[in-house]
Amino acid sequence: MARVITITSGKGGVGKTTTTANLGTALAMQGQRVVAVDADIGLRNLDVVMGLENRIVYDLVDVVEGRCRLRQALIKDKRFPELFLLPAAQTRDKDAVSPEDMIELCNSLRREFDFVLVDSPAGIEGGFRNAIAGADEVLIVTTPEVSAVRDADRIVGLVEAFEKGHPRLILNRIRPQMVNRGEMMSKEDVVEILAIDLIGVVPDDEVIVTSTNRGEVAVMQKGSQAGRAYTDIARRLLGEDVPMLVLTDDQSLLDKFMGALGLRPRRTVR
Amino acid sequence: MSAPIAIKGNKEGLRLMLAEDAPWDEVMAALRSQLERGTEFFHGAELTIDVGDRAVQDGELSGLLALMHEHGLQPSALATNSREGRSAGRSAGIATRPTNRHVPTPQPSGETDAALMVARTLRSGQVLRHHAHVTIVGDVNPGAEVIAGGSVLVWGRLRGTVHAGALGDSSAFVCALELMPSLLRIADTMARQPDQRPAGPETARIKDGQIEVEQWEAGKTRA
Repeated sequence: MARVITITSGKGGVGKTTTTANLGTALAMQGQRVVAVDADIGLRNLDVVMGLENRIVYDLVDVVEGRCRLRQALIKDKRFPELFLLPAAQTRDKDAVSPEDMIELCNSLRREFDFVLVDSPAGIEGGFRNAIAGADEVLIVTTPEVSAVRDADRIVGLVEAFEKGHPRLILNRIRPQMVNRGEMMSKEDVVEILAIDLIGVVPDDEVIVTSTNRGEVAVMQKGSQAGRAYTDIARRLLGEDVPMLVLTDDQSLLDKFMGALGLRPRRTVR
Repeated sequence: MSAPIAIKGNKEGLRLMLAEDAPWDEVMAALRSQLERGTEFFHGAELTIDVGDRAVQDGELSGLLALMHEHGLQPSALATNSREGRSAGRSAGIATRPTNRHVPTPQPSGETDAALMVARTLRSGQVLRHHAHVTIVGDVNPGAEVIAGGSVLVWGRLRGTVHAGALGDSSAFVCALELMPSLLRIADTMARQPDQRPAGPETARIKDGQIEVEQWEAGKTRA
């Protein structure tokens, strides 16, 4: 039975698209048949992050409006034969699609795939409503900032009102050193406010920026902490019991020197 | 019914009950003074107007609707049993439905102003509005709003905005296991968020015209 999972956040720029691309790739690497759907119509991004932008012929709106068959619009990722992308239209806006269209689209995709990951636009208006219309499950991405958490809280309320069950939380871009210094909200602080289940914590990682620019996702990079975190989330989605990553500090030179001399225990964040 | 107006609430929402026998001017005057006292409570509220058997006229109804809109109310329906009422509703463009106000609705233990209990977290953007006391078992998160005619009791963390006694009752109070509202109002009095995280459960009430917060002490008698 296929699962339709929408990735959303409320606030923009917290990592919805990066999360969709990484989870999609990680699930495909685990042998699942995956399609990533870009529901951010008019602000197409997912294709760039996945490195597939120059292969787009048809898009989601073409499918909905019947200008092409669903199969024609799906772009196959050459690196992972089980991974596909359904790109958004760049020249249209959110009103080109209705929630009913999205439900129908998700149901057709269910027949072909194990996972349908829907990348939601920011906001709480039509685009967001379209993105969650066909969802079985919702993942909410937030960063440890008061504004992002406030928006995530609003989204949790809306997801519950739309009867999409209990959304799960991905806490993105956490910086252990700042948390230790008390300058950043901790995992516990965020979970205390949102009171929903945490499915993963992703550390702030420069690899995200460099890999995004190259159209390669972090889960493909060996040694990337963020990539590792996304792989763990994918395994948790598959029902595996994977312990939460213990994030180590991004150490300064002095820290490394002190550490080498054994003068200070390595700090960790749970 | 003795009072010219009464505000009731149930699962379907708020209901404004207008006396059937009192002179219309008196009803309007009572409503105007109530709306002026509870501005915050009424702003944006949807409610049903219940005129019962009164044969309300076109001009009377349009005056009533104008007064309500002026105070930000959103009347959603007119409950009326008279032909005149239905016709007035039609010309004013508001949905009409029959009312059975003389059938007593069962109230727990003879209370007329039923308190509301909600067992969930109120999240950012959610508004809870009730004409009487409110109990919330759960948190009130930043960005959420509780507006109550009576007192507000939160068995959890209160971090959103809260307005108790929003219909003008300055004896209303607010208490929470962790009382950290971003804005706290009782009747017309206002207080800002405290700087420190409270050590335990607290109660806020009006004393000498100001909101005072005191720690909950077991065994202490309260008004």
